[in-house]
Amino acid sequence: MDRRQFLATTGALSALGFAGCGGDPAGETTDTPESGADGDDTPGSAATATGAPAETPLTSGSQTPTSAGMSTPDRPSGIYVQTFRERMSMQGTAATGDYAFALMFTVPHTFWTVTGGEFSKTAIEDGDSLHLMATVWDPETRTVLPETGLTVEITRDGSLVSQEVIYPMLSQPMGFHYGGNFSLDGDGTYAATLSVGGTTVRRTGAFASRFGEPASVEIPLAFTAATREAIATRPFDRGGEAGALRPMDASFPQSVVPAPGELPGTVRGEAMADDARFVVTTLPSSPAGVDGDGPYIAVSARTRYNSYVLPAMALDATLTRDGETVFEGPLRRTLDPDLRYHYGAAVDGVESGDELALSVATVPQVARHEGYETAFRQMGDVSVTF
Amino acid sequence: MDPPDSSLPRREFAKAAVALGGATGLAACLDRLGSESGTASESRPDTENESDPDTASELGSKGSPATTAVPTGDPTSVPERQHAWGAYVRGDEYGNAQLPRHQVLLYVTLDGDGPPTVDERDTVATALDTLDRAYAWRHDALLHSIAYSPAYFDRFEASLPDSVDLPPPRRLSDFEEPTFDTQDAVVHLASDRPDVLLEAEEALVGAGETANGVSVDAKLTDVATVDSRRTGFVGAGLPAANQDAAGIPDSEPVPEASPLFMGFEAGFRGNQATEDYVTIDDGPFAGGTTKTISNLRQRLDDWYGEQTFEERVAELFSPSHAEQGLVEGVGDTLGADSGIDAFLDDVPAKAREAGRIGHAQKAARANRDDDGNVRLLRRHFESTDDIGSDQRVASLHFPSLQREITAFEEVRRAMNGTDITRATPAVRQRVNNGILEYIFVRRRGNFLVPPRRHRALPTPRPDSGA
Repeated sequence: MDRRQFLATTGALSALGFAGCGGDPAGETTDTPESGADGDDTPGSAATATGAPAETPLTSGSQTPTSAGMSTPDRPSGIYVQTFRERMSMQGTAATGDYAFALMFTVPHTFWTVTGGEFSKTAIEDGDSLHLMATVWDPETRTVLPETGLTVEITRDGSLVSQEVIYPMLSQPMGFHYGGNFSLDGDGTYAATLSVGGTTVRRTGAFASRFGEPASVEIPLAFTAATREAIATRPFDRGGEAGALRPMDASFPQSVVPAPGELPGTVRGEAMADDARFVVTTLPSSPAGVDGDGPYIAVSARTRYNSYVLPAMALDATLTRDGETVFEGPLRRTLDPDLRYHYGAAVDGVESGDELALSVATVPQVARHEGYETAFRQMGDVSVTF
Repeated sequence: MDPPDSSLPRREFAKAAVALGGATGLAACLDRLGSESGTASESRPDTENESDPDTASELGSKGSPATTAVPTGDPTSVPERQHAWGAYVRGDEYGNAQLPRHQVLLYVTLDGDGPPTVDERDTVATALDTLDRAYAWRHDALLHSIAYSPAYFDRFEASLPDSVDLPPPRRLSDFEEPTFDTQDAVVHLASDRPDVLLEAEEALVGAGETANGVSVDAKLTDVATVDSRRTGFVGAGLPAANQDAAGIPDSEPVPEASPLFMGFEAGFRGNQATEDYVTIDDGPFAGGTTKTISNLRQRLDDWYGEQTFEERVAELFSPSHAEQGLVEGVGDTLGADSGIDAFLDDVPAKAREAGRIGHAQKAARANRDDDGNVRLLRRHFESTDDIGSDQRVASLHFPSLQREITAFEEVRRAMNGTDITRATPAVRQRVNNGILEYIFVRRRGNFLVPPRRHRALPTPRPDSGA
């Protein structure tokens, strides 16, 4: 521990109400699920229900009396509004070097992990005390960092309680985060050491020399009657509709990627694949850190409604011009201060009228909370004409 | 600390006594031996696999009274290589080496500053010679070695010759943050008999005045202080008997037949370097070797709880091992070789297809020289040490011998599978990436194991008198 650089944590314990959870004390918003900016994305319009998905609906928060989800909802094949509203308990933030961290928890959650094309449901287990969530971001640019790898070690009075590699996940209120269910030894104050791994994702521009090193911080974790009270869930009667709860209000950055109009370069168009939205932009020259100095094609992938980053895909691209293939290959997962997390490649040239075909070889390798487990699974080929 | 509960089953008791150590641990061990030697083997408090090759040597059992005399040693017949253990341990039916079941690592720091004096050197030489005279060089008596760190050699103005590759320990992955062991030296004691192990340790660093009847005239602790004492065990039965530790599910999933907590055999003969191969072959330390020792915390809840047997096989060996059903039980169907070399072609493509990559598969890619020889000789053993606390936490002590420390570093880096994480997002930094999700490196140290002639506080240039 003496080798680790611990900085003081900030932020007292607090309960964070989620946007979309009308009636909570903070009273931020209404019950209206967040919907895409485009009119044709209003809830319901995309609800082409295809029968119950393979996984049965979950209930969240076995400890709480109000955790019932819908029993047998008809769910759309893409993103649907989760069937419960929830609140979480903010535990604190800390920063060291290239990284800032936030730690929070909510009731134990069911989630679905992904390995290649296989989905596996992680059910709530007896003894799970909470669902721990951590977010890692760059304190300079406030960019949320996916694909770092994150480990949590939980101790109490110096004794080991748990240590796990926690998984990258998507949830509707939280967006991209690292999470896992943990079993604690009853009420009390614990110490959570969050350890981030240096990323192997390509970094460009001012990020080229950053985020390559591991770092750890310690944040206290109070698991008490008071903090548990703050995390109650309630059923949400619009659960199951196409759409998503809005991102929560939080003091730390969201994993929302830039709106198309805020992306650098020339935005060439967009396409949707199983509720993943691909926004394609091109830069006249490749950012520093990319092999090749030609123009650069970047695909910014985000969730349909909340524009959360969709990381860890294998995405192949074919660029054709007048029927001839002028580029064919994978787009590399890349982290850039302006493009943020995206999939990109240098090409010899880009012209108006070019067609970019995108093919998802591996769907986003990010675990899914409820409402996302039915999306980004069957991602058909799409194309954008420049 | 209290002595181990005498009602514990034998294997737990043996492990507990070694973990406790000192005069108390030794006394408890001898008490147990005394009481068991007077009773029939039928009264053994635990049930054990009758075919277990070494129950005879563990705190006594039928056919081998606990009071069996320990053979004394002959210093003139002890091998010149301190790491020459392979010919003196048990082997299984396939010739795989089975290391001594109980082991202790003593990390020591010299009391003085600067280079050690001649007197200090003589003291250490006498202390180590005592062990050689007291115990035969064999698994059911005592195997031992002493090795020196880069920090030790920094005491001298002269530097090590180019024939010795001994960099300080360093971080070898993008995600680990180990504490480095930079004590001067580490003593490694190993025996199938916990009573012998503890008596030898007492002779070396404790209050023992005799060792197997041999008078103790000098102690390592006359010139050095034990900074960290670490203990462990290996071999069928012991992990199962000692799986009541943090990091292992309460369902007690570790099979009786497994020599290690993860449930499989390891260190197959065909996948280990030979002692000849890891031996430094020129310069003043010819006949020696280099040794890294890591300590890894194990977190096996998800290993056993979330994974099927096939998934464990895929992640420990390779996805092809799982697909082809090459591994049954704890892996004894593999014989003398894990067969991993058949699955090293186009590993990224295979990982893309399977969404996983095997631990052995990754490591093997760097663990062969140009002629196909294995580069590392791994001698890992299990522990419930939680270094720095009294808690019982599953961990692994991982000594590895190699001619050059760099070889270890290359293999360890290959274990990161960084190229595979770029080839497919299904293989993440630590998930679906061999066994990285379940092991957490906490310590690492690098050491030189000198040949026996230079084992007592050597200078960096011992033949030149530097």
